[in-house]
Amino acid sequence: MYAYDDYDHALVNARVAEFRDQVNRRLSGELTEEEFRPLRLMNGVYLQLHAYMLRVAVPYGTLSADQLRKLAHIARKYDKGYGHFTTRQNIQFNWPKLVDVPDILDELADVEMHAIQTSGNCIRNVTTDQFAGAAADEVADPRPYAELIRQWSTFHPEFTFLPRKFKIAITGAGADRAAVKWHDIGLVLKKNDAGEIGFAVIVGGGMGRTPVIGKTIRDFLPEADLLSYLEAILRVYNEQGRRDNKYKARIKILVDALGAEEYARLTEEEWQAIRHHPVDVPAEEVARIHAFFKAPPLPVLSDDVPTVDAFAEKNFLFAAWLKNNVSAHKVPGHVNITISLKPHGGIPGDASHSQMDLVAALADRYSQGEVRVSHEQNLILPHVAKKDLPAIWADLDEAGLGTANAGLLTDVIACPGLDYCALANARSIPLAQSISARFDDIKRLMDIGPLKIKISGCINSCGHHHAGHIGILGVDRKGEESYQLLLGGSGAEDASKAAILGPGFDEAGIVDAVEKVVAVYLGEREDGEEFLSTYRRLGPDIFKEAVYGTH
Amino acid sequence: MAKKISGPQMVIANRLDDGRVVFLTSSGDWSARAADAAVADDDVSVDALRSVASASEAANRVLSVEVIEADVHNGVPHPAHMKFAMQAKGPSVRADLGYQVSPDWER
Repeated sequence: MYAYDDYDHALVNARVAEFRDQVNRRLSGELTEEEFRPLRLMNGVYLQLHAYMLRVAVPYGTLSADQLRKLAHIARKYDKGYGHFTTRQNIQFNWPKLVDVPDILDELADVEMHAIQTSGNCIRNVTTDQFAGAAADEVADPRPYAELIRQWSTFHPEFTFLPRKFKIAITGAGADRAAVKWHDIGLVLKKNDAGEIGFAVIVGGGMGRTPVIGKTIRDFLPEADLLSYLEAILRVYNEQGRRDNKYKARIKILVDALGAEEYARLTEEEWQAIRHHPVDVPAEEVARIHAFFKAPPLPVLSDDVPTVDAFAEKNFLFAAWLKNNVSAHKVPGHVNITISLKPHGGIPGDASHSQMDLVAALADRYSQGEVRVSHEQNLILPHVAKKDLPAIWADLDEAGLGTANAGLLTDVIACPGLDYCALANARSIPLAQSISARFDDIKRLMDIGPLKIKISGCINSCGHHHAGHIGILGVDRKGEESYQLLLGGSGAEDASKAAILGPGFDEAGIVDAVEKVVAVYLGEREDGEEFLSTYRRLGPDIFKEAVYGTH
Repeated sequence: MAKKISGPQMVIANRLDDGRVVFLTSSGDWSARAADAAVADDDVSVDALRSVASASEAANRVLSVEVIEADVHNGVPHPAHMKFAMQAKGPSVRADLGYQVSPDWER
């Protein structure tokens, strides 16, 4: 993992001291809310429905055990005993008092964490594959590049007041687990014919009220040119992006207006003008950053572990967890574990302080002190020896963290929705709970197979409904919560936009509709065909007929 | 100028220091209970509530002040719109938290 140097420490500590002063001035009345609001947002402090909310950055979804323990401590001491992991691999605390926030930030700084640039029209936390550096299907570890981008973009004076917020995602694997095509910039690590590392560069993706899948503007960008090329993309956007209408201010609107080819040309022109300026960092600094992400020295072990097989034979729930929540590691005899934060009937993404402490302890013991946060709101233990799986599962299961549903229908993404969020029009969490309670049967879920349900409580799409195999969007219909059903989206390498199936439903109706959609799939699927493929093969009509009975 | 009102109104805000939801009472103070809220039925009394709330906001006691529609049953007011009703009750998915448990929570 990356470790702060003196410069990082000084920068974060200075920011905490500055914000402490700003909070004091706000509380004393020296600053009005109008003056203070942009300052608190730059430090991740929102005002939500019930309280302030603090969004803490988890850089590219990577946490140390000590950092996770600190988050548990903050949940216990300053909040109501829990935190909420988000679709941007961050964590949000729902109940901090403004007066406590400087102390919270001080405590975070002790473990090299902060809330800088988790809000505002700047470059936000870079997201990536939750299995980065550990996945069997990886070309290269995206985290060193994400860290480079973090350092380049932190307090970047030119990009502090962009037309709108800006999100970058990187994947280093063939399977896109970071939804890169749905980001303002998506980067896909690849090798060229000479075996050199570089990136495919995708721009102009985004969700919100205008969902757009990003377009590739460069097939292969050498890794050494990454920062100068990103700077060129951002410069074009910063200069030409709309500032007259916040709903048309994201880069996706500009790329659409200009066309991807023209955007690529303008970027190239800008890049040629700046690329020889000292934007890209020297090779020795790149090497220094890469060294922090060196793969842990894992022994090569056998993938056949009879004790694990024997335990699985006796215990169906463990066997199911082994199949669904455990994935291949690049080192034989090792695996990556997805810890589901989606207990059936529970709140997606929430973890109690004691659960966070447990995961930190397991990380220390079994996963090289590392934990990851996925954009699907789960936690990951990477680098685990396969032989340790039964013991880990038993501890997780006892703490309510052993649900064997990763990647299945009840592994629902849901935004906080109207239960917490000041922007929401409808609740999201209760729908996720109703759906997971309705499908509370692991055998049935495994029969249904991979199926991603994503729920947003408003058009801002924090719950990624546009990218759901089944997407649900909550709207306010004359003061009542109403839910639209969308089908056919994907956030993976085969990214697609979900389409609205028909009129909306109330809460009970939408759960019934999901069940009808699943029934059509089960009746129509071909051998081994997953939900999304069946939908793409059949189109929406048969699903529409089942849900609305139009004939 | 304040817009013309329709039906009973109440004032909701968040406390500055901790962000908790509060309602303006007839004594000009703020209460965590929606039931304690002052209700205004006409333009003049709504303007009066608004001006008390604005003064409190200017004095940095609260922020995010809004005049909202109230449902009044048996003389007890409650926010009419679901968003503000959610603020009065706390998150529906955590009945162990928020004002359902204790309106004076942590004060």
